[in-house]
Amino acid sequence: MSAGMQADQFFEVLKSRRVVRSYTDEPVSDDDLWKLAQAGRWSANGGNMHPHRFLITRDATQIRLMRTFAPGMLVTPPAVVVLLTDREVAARLKWNLDASYIHWVDTGTAAQNMMNMAHALGLGTCPVTSYSKSGVSAILGLPPHLIPELLLMVGHPKPVSRELRADAPKPITTRDLTYWEAPGQHDPT
Amino acid sequence: MSDEPSTSTGVLMEEEAMQLIAFLVSASELCIKEPTYYGAFRLIDAASRLMGFMLQHNPSRTSEFLQRFKEEVDTKKVWMMFDRQAYFDFLQSAPAQVAAEVKRLADEDLASQKETPA
Repeated sequence: MSAGMQADQFFEVLKSRRVVRSYTDEPVSDDDLWKLAQAGRWSANGGNMHPHRFLITRDATQIRLMRTFAPGMLVTPPAVVVLLTDREVAARLKWNLDASYIHWVDTGTAAQNMMNMAHALGLGTCPVTSYSKSGVSAILGLPPHLIPELLLMVGHPKPVSRELRADAPKPITTRDLTYWEAPGQHDPT
Repeated sequence: MSDEPSTSTGVLMEEEAMQLIAFLVSASELCIKEPTYYGAFRLIDAASRLMGFMLQHNPSRTSEFLQRFKEEVDTKKVWMMFDRQAYFDFLQSAPAQVAAEVKRLADEDLASQKETPA
């Protein structure tokens, strides 16, 4: 696909993706998880330095125990991708992570690519940042140089009803979020 | 030894209790840095997780209540993300439901004590 081709279809994938917190028991295949890893690998990242590593787990016990230290995991999914920062890679690149936030931006771009890829494959995902880093690291047996930056729950979506009230707040719009030329200017001049 | 009536059976395994402790300790750490709203959310979610553990052991006296209440908690807790007023309304009404069940158990215990000959 070159730029401009199938843009409407691509936008529909982006627009229809939702955070999924309810999964069936169906396992996620090697092939699908590999596609997510590839989507993460091809994300935009600072300086093409790739300080990240992706730890994929489908180990039910590991996921169950990880969830106990991750209040943001509201359910137990069939698979989790743990997005890590490798501090040894950063050190080799003379990159002071303590004075930088680029690796967090890189985490976000990789996670977003994975979520969009998952949605295109018919999978559901939920990014989780609410967890104890020390607790999750201990459960996963991570060495000190691997830092868990984000947990991505992955599974086959189970349909749920949101049961919203009729007068529930309306979702924020693109216009609300957008300024043209100056802050507060929501329309093009 | 407790002087309380011993009509209830065990409803939590040691490992499940440890998992709940892990959750609460982790949530406590997160409360230092996350939005204030999340604190209440962690508590109601902890209640849901506890109910989930209990239901695995088919508690003889509270299964029906726990099943229904957990389902309601799990449906309404996520309103925090898209209908905060409805979520707050639910949080304010939830304790009365638990209170009614606690009172029902207490009344049952009292009735069974009265039936037991001295």
